[in-house]
Amino acid sequence: MEWEVPWRRTVVAVGLVLASAGTSCSVVDRPDATDWDTRADQALTDASSEVATSRLALDTAARERTWSSYAVVVLAQAEEAMATVEDDLARLQVPTGRSERAEEVLAVLESAASAVSDARASAVEGELDDDATLGALDEVAAELDRATDGG
Amino acid sequence: MTYDAALHLLDRQIVDEEGRLLAKVDDVELRVDPDGSIRPSGLLVGMPAVLPRLGRRVGHRLTRLHVELRPAAEDRGRPLVVDIDRIASLTSEVRLSGDGRGSLRRLSADRAAAGDRWRLGELLGTPAAGPGLHRKSVVLDVRISGRPGESGEHRVAALVVGPGRSGALLGYDRTSDLGPALIAAVVRWMHRHARVVELGPEVEIDCAAGRVRIGAGASFLPLRG
Amino acid sequence: MKRYFAVLLGVLTAIGGFVDIGDLVTNAQVGARFGWSLVWVVVVGVVGICVFAEMSGRIAAVSHRATFDLVRERLGPRMGFLNLVGSMLVTFLTFIAEIGGVALALQLVSSVHHVLLVPFVAAAVWIVLWRARFSSIENVLGLLGLSLIGFAVALWQLGPDWGDLVAQLSPAEKPGAESWLTYAYFGVALFGAAMTPYEVFFFSSGGVEERWTHKDIGVMRANVFIGFPLGGLLSIAIAGCAAVVFLPQGITVETLGQVGLPVGVALGKIGLAVVVLGFFAATFGAACETGLSVGYSLAQYAGFQWGKYVRVRDAAAFHVVLLVATVLAAGVLLTGVDPIMVTEISVVFSAIALPLTYFPILVVANDPDYVGEHRNGRLANVLGVAYLVIIVLASLAAIPLLVITSMGQG
Repeated sequence: MEWEVPWRRTVVAVGLVLASAGTSCSVVDRPDATDWDTRADQALTDASSEVATSRLALDTAARERTWSSYAVVVLAQAEEAMATVEDDLARLQVPTGRSERAEEVLAVLESAASAVSDARASAVEGELDDDATLGALDEVAAELDRATDGG
Repeated sequence: MTYDAALHLLDRQIVDEEGRLLAKVDDVELRVDPDGSIRPSGLLVGMPAVLPRLGRRVGHRLTRLHVELRPAAEDRGRPLVVDIDRIASLTSEVRLSGDGRGSLRRLSADRAAAGDRWRLGELLGTPAAGPGLHRKSVVLDVRISGRPGESGEHRVAALVVGPGRSGALLGYDRTSDLGPALIAAVVRWMHRHARVVELGPEVEIDCAAGRVRIGAGASFLPLRG
Repeated sequence: MKRYFAVLLGVLTAIGGFVDIGDLVTNAQVGARFGWSLVWVVVVGVVGICVFAEMSGRIAAVSHRATFDLVRERLGPRMGFLNLVGSMLVTFLTFIAEIGGVALALQLVSSVHHVLLVPFVAAAVWIVLWRARFSSIENVLGLLGLSLIGFAVALWQLGPDWGDLVAQLSPAEKPGAESWLTYAYFGVALFGAAMTPYEVFFFSSGGVEERWTHKDIGVMRANVFIGFPLGGLLSIAIAGCAAVVFLPQGITVETLGQVGLPVGVALGKIGLAVVVLGFFAATFGAACETGLSVGYSLAQYAGFQWGKYVRVRDAAAFHVVLLVATVLAAGVLLTGVDPIMVTEISVVFSAIALPLTYFPILVVANDPDYVGEHRNGRLANVLGVAYLVIIVLASLAAIPLLVITSMGQG
């Protein structure tokens, strides 16, 4: 008799944990429209941050204010973070009525990711003030801004 | 000169003459003399001493688990012990006389089972009933006269009883000017039903059955402060 | 003369030792997102760590008892055990973050991936804990940690509009894009970074080991009251650099490389190199301190011999704990978990765990049985109780804020 109480409590606790896990952690994340909008905006903000970081890292390296391996590490981490941002949003189930917006946002994120990758590549090659790379970063930063405002 | 066993002795660091850190006072062994007086007789050390103090049910289970981890060992359920007269001084640490290496001995089976040997940990939290006491009162602390390491009489002089958990008085019952004022006020309010009961013929402690009966004639002292 | 030198050395190492991976990352993150509008939290946290460390240092000097001795004596074995588990988990989390921080600092110099560096860093930390004369290592690392002053120089070189920066000091200057909940979340994180519990475990245990007496209280106070606030100024400088360089560009800080970037912008390669050396020294020193603190906590709870000043074989169990903790920490990092994320979690959990050890220290600092005539005065008690309230509020608010803001992202 004495031991039944804790057992019952354990069963209830485990049940609650399983229930909450079942509702919130299914294999595919299916946010509703407003939730999706928030996450898309967050992804765009994060992407802007990574693009600006890459720009700053290239810039300081070009002006010999950092050494090359420092810039490469910062850029490689920006590239990785950028890929995570893009993947995370792409994996969300797009709610109805948002497919156009999703296409637009994911396209911008993809070009941001490739611009950051190019920046990393030119840093590894030692081409720090390559105008094409810097230009691409500036362009994609502007695109990200426009996409954020468009939401 | 008195000290409170739970507040001043229990859980303190045991060191030897050289300052080597030996162990904690995991429990205190009390001995009942034929004349009825109770004296501290030893410091108990080790898992079999500390585990029962982790709560009635949890402590019981953990102690049994500790024994069952090695059922072949005959002494698994008995703690180590240092006799109380090895204590040279009691300050913020319990200093033993001499070299501490090898000073902890396994408590003998006879002594562990003896009916006149109690553990302080068992006595604390024992329900105490009597006229004028709050009905949820338990033994909160044990006030002992004398000081370990000093000559003179060493025996349990009084019990601190009241509702609550042993140790939660935090020493605010001992001196009246212990700060900070806010914490002191809260602790004293929580223990407003606590009393100090002097040991005498009116106080009957039955450790095995787990109860303390206090008669109408017992002398109650208010908590200090 | 020698005595003044010792005081100076103590103060300087306290400055360098104040900043660890938690302060570096959290201050840069907060500066980049909130400018200087959370600086007041750093001030509150620094005063708090001064109050806490002074009390436990005084207890250590007079009664020779370190933090977890007191926790068990005042709270008993059961509450004390829960306390031990909570505090040790937080310290261990910080230990992981510091080892990861050393690896990240080395990665910036070598461009070798930090996971590959972890085993070497962990081995180096363990060798220091096992073999080295710790006081000399502590002094060297503390002094090298002073190179983080580079952040203050960089802030001055960046030539910000000081009037604008000072105007940001008001909480009302919170950037509009951020919600008050994220503001509160980062406030708690910053508080936890400034008041990391291990600092006090380490400080009081060190005092016991160095056999401080009541005569050393003056020197101890000088270290605390001068060293920690100056360390706090470094934290504010880190936030300032991030506020000047990152805030206008909308950059959020997620890597240690970003933390150093403003220094590169302001001072160039040499300045950046000095600051990266500071990263290394601060995190390595903190890794040793947190590792030792894990061992100190357990040993002081259980009562077995601990310490860096006794021979290794006299404190065998203590050294086994250190070895196991180091191996476990390296193991966690080898799973590839991001050390910066571990840092973010550890500072918040530091804030959660603080009341556990703060409360018993506050009680004992008043108890003449322990501290005799050196018990808390009126000022110490007013501050002590005020901080008890602040610490409990921060601790209670931490988990709900963590969940609602999903670690500050929302």
